[in-house]
Amino acid sequence: MALDAHRIPEEPYYRPVAGEVALFEAAYAARMPMMLKGPTGCGKTRFIEHMAWRLGRPLVTVACHEDMTASDLVGRFLLDPGGTVWHDGPLTQAVRHGAICYLDEIVEARQDTTVVIHPLTDARRILPLEKRNELVQAHPDFQLVISYNPGYQSVLKDLKESTKQRFAAIEFGYPNATVEAEIVAHESGVDANVAALLVRIAASSRNLKGHGLQEGVSTRMLIHAGRLAAQGIALETACRIALVLPITDDADVRDAFSAAVSAAIA
Amino acid sequence: MPDDQSRQFPADQFPADTAFSSVERRLVAYLVALWRLRVPIRHAKPDAAGNPPRRVSLSDGLIWMPGTFRGVDGHRSGALFRAALVHAGAHLRFTGPRFPAAGLKPLQLALVSLIEDARVEQLAMREHPGLLRVWRPFHVAEPDGAGTAPALMARLARALIDPDYRDDDAWVAKGRRLFFAAESDWHSPALSRRIGGLLGNDLGQMRVQFNSKDHVVEPAYRDDNIGLWDHGEAPPSPPSDAETVFEAFRTEQEERDRGRPDDQVGEGATPARLSATDVPARAVGEEEITAPPVRYPEWDYRVGIDRPDWVVLNERRSEPGDPAAIARIVERHQATADRLTALVRSAKVSRPVRLRRQPEGDRMDLDACIDAMVSHRRGEAPDPRVHEVLVRRNRDLSVLLLLDVSASTGDPVAGGGRSVLSVEREAATLFAQALDGLGDPFAIHAFRSNGRQDVSYYRIKAFRQPYDDAARGRLAGLKAGLSTRLGTALRHAGRLLERQATHRRLLLVVTDGEPSDIDVADRRYLLDDARRAVLGLAARGIDCFVIGLDPQGRDYLTRMFGARNVMVIDRADKLPEVLPTFYLRLST
Ligand SMILES: Nc1ncnc2c1ncn2[C@@H]1O[C@H](COP(=O)(O)OP(=O)(O)OP(=O)(O)O)[C@@H](O)[C@H]1O
Ligand SMILES: [Mg+2]
Repeated sequence: MALDAHRIPEEPYYRPVAGEVALFEAAYAARMPMMLKGPTGCGKTRFIEHMAWRLGRPLVTVACHEDMTASDLVGRFLLDPGGTVWHDGPLTQAVRHGAICYLDEIVEARQDTTVVIHPLTDARRILPLEKRNELVQAHPDFQLVISYNPGYQSVLKDLKESTKQRFAAIEFGYPNATVEAEIVAHESGVDANVAALLVRIAASSRNLKGHGLQEGVSTRMLIHAGRLAAQGIALETACRIALVLPITDDADVRDAFSAAVSAAIA
Repeated sequence: MPDDQSRQFPADQFPADTAFSSVERRLVAYLVALWRLRVPIRHAKPDAAGNPPRRVSLSDGLIWMPGTFRGVDGHRSGALFRAALVHAGAHLRFTGPRFPAAGLKPLQLALVSLIEDARVEQLAMREHPGLLRVWRPFHVAEPDGAGTAPALMARLARALIDPDYRDDDAWVAKGRRLFFAAESDWHSPALSRRIGGLLGNDLGQMRVQFNSKDHVVEPAYRDDNIGLWDHGEAPPSPPSDAETVFEAFRTEQEERDRGRPDDQVGEGATPARLSATDVPARAVGEEEITAPPVRYPEWDYRVGIDRPDWVVLNERRSEPGDPAAIARIVERHQATADRLTALVRSAKVSRPVRLRRQPEGDRMDLDACIDAMVSHRRGEAPDPRVHEVLVRRNRDLSVLLLLDVSASTGDPVAGGGRSVLSVEREAATLFAQALDGLGDPFAIHAFRSNGRQDVSYYRIKAFRQPYDDAARGRLAGLKAGLSTRLGTALRHAGRLLERQATHRRLLLVVTDGEPSDIDVADRRYLLDDARRAVLGLAARGIDCFVIGLDPQGRDYLTRMFGARNVMVIDRADKLPEVLPTFYLRLST
């Protein structure tokens, strides 16, 4: 069957933080377009993988970028020796075959690109392929999901109001310390104490958000630090290369953060 | 010990070592990282006798930092400043209300302070165990030291923080035992009072020498502890910049709920409302006129003519204020300032823009080529625009920010707190900071009026001037007063902006109300004149936009500026954030 390559055979590890799994199941039952909001590296991608697995749907992921055109999403004519052939884009494939289509970082795409999803997200659930003169009716299992990180991108690139209002949203943040430590321990292989310490270190970087840092350390970065520590790298060094150095080039803020790292370590 | 050295040498034989200012920014960030503590830090000045301060001092929620610690070598003084600042932070975090000093002997005061120091440090180390490495190196008292009170106290201080320290002195051992036995009570400041009182008493009975006048807290990173005590006197008079006293400690709230802490700040800091009646004489009399008067026409809608040379405009210079006040504004709005810096950075790089479907260009547009082929195969006429070009869009615009500083801007913004003018000043500060980073030529001017014979115009920062302390001083010195004859100010601003040789020229007006003046009763008159001025500027290629701080102002602003050029904000205190982002959006 089409999209077999997009099926998720094994359960991706996901640690629920609040009621997001049940919320998403309800939204899927209504085939409601969903928006996953939250800072980078807090588990949005992992969550959608897990949900696709749980719901038994293939997952088609598109990483959006500035140069992406509508054709990149819906498809285009290509030339072949016999003439021209139409190739479905990833969105069209998901629409035809009933996958969950996840448009990651949708604000990165230009607004004239994003509007192609509009007719899919209202009661019509259709995708017009203008070039081909075809209206694709969405498969009953199809669902559209986007990720959106407000405040991260420039005001110049925000989603259009008419786009935003087509989605229901689930908000993701950094989980509370206990849960985050559990995730870090599971994903990186460090023990519970080290994981808890890493989460405390993350807290000091998150304190600096808006005071020199754009964003605090994400769960993803903590997992990186944990993996290095699990390999036997000294914790302070692991934090330095996985957290402190990547997160800022501002020497003063870097100094403050690394001093806070060392204050956390007994 | 650092401080003993400084006693042996006349202070000025020693060059100043690492100055606090060189490490201030990173240490301030350090406190934010540890505790979300953002405390205003002031540089402590020499005392009346001219002696530089030897210790940090905490008062009124401010940290007073010595500019240098004399006699400490450069490397160590960085560490000393760090230790001193976290110690102060630990007090702010864990020390409660002041202890009443009444009934305590000098030795007891010193001992309660010492225990309180140890207590807050222990609590800090529960959260951040690595702080031991920050403080311990400064504890160098030895068990074989002299038996004087200062020496014994230094030994006790060490015994309370350094687990590896051995000291057989009975008094030191008792202090240590009492303190660690009470570990489960460390959260309570009453413990310091109890143990300190006891130990002070014991020490008094040992008849050791103690001269409270010469007493200097050891180690050097600890503050003088004066801020711990309530001596029952009137509180010391607040520092000159009263506003700083109210600066919030915690940034937590600030982030969750932008704007609120500033409302609180305002409580004590609202400049008195300058009423329209008491300002004219003073403002006009004292301010220096900096250019010959200029006459402008004014539109009279009733007769449908421009009255020639009807209004007189004077450029004035107002008394400059303290440029440091502007730096503090940036400090207070650090979050916004950082966000703007990031926006500016991305706006600045002249990003390559890909133009597709061009009739000519340096490469092929693949999609267009395929479309052309498809059309061709189908027997349709292909679109010949199959090229793609990369162009760089350079910024080529200048902007003039025109602030209304009429009397109504002396009113507090909704919800109490700061005045409209101080909000405007904050907005202008962040705007200037962003524009300075961006490199677009910009000017900040302000205006008010006192009848048609006297419109005042202030160039706070002119296009050709750098945004320096002089400009910041002028910005800090702005005062509210008089009326709003907007049209004339627009004409003058337009004339200055017109000289800019950029591709686009933007005039950005911030106002809190309708135009008005003492010699005009007809509401429509000045409105229509301003509208006329805007149209005139548009004809000369100057785009005018207005940000209105009056939530009810959309109608009259639209009448003057046109619907698309009006932005009304419902809460004036959002202006500092809105103004620069509004500009960035307009200009990209
Ligand atoms: N609740 C969670 N359960 C399991 N793993 C998690 C959870 N939250 C975060 N993670 C871990 O964090 C890593 C980063 O998360 P993920 O890639 O999903 O972030 P994201 O929110 O999609 O970020 P971005 O916006 O940058 O794409 C994951 O690989 C996973 O290991
Ligand atoms: Mg102290």
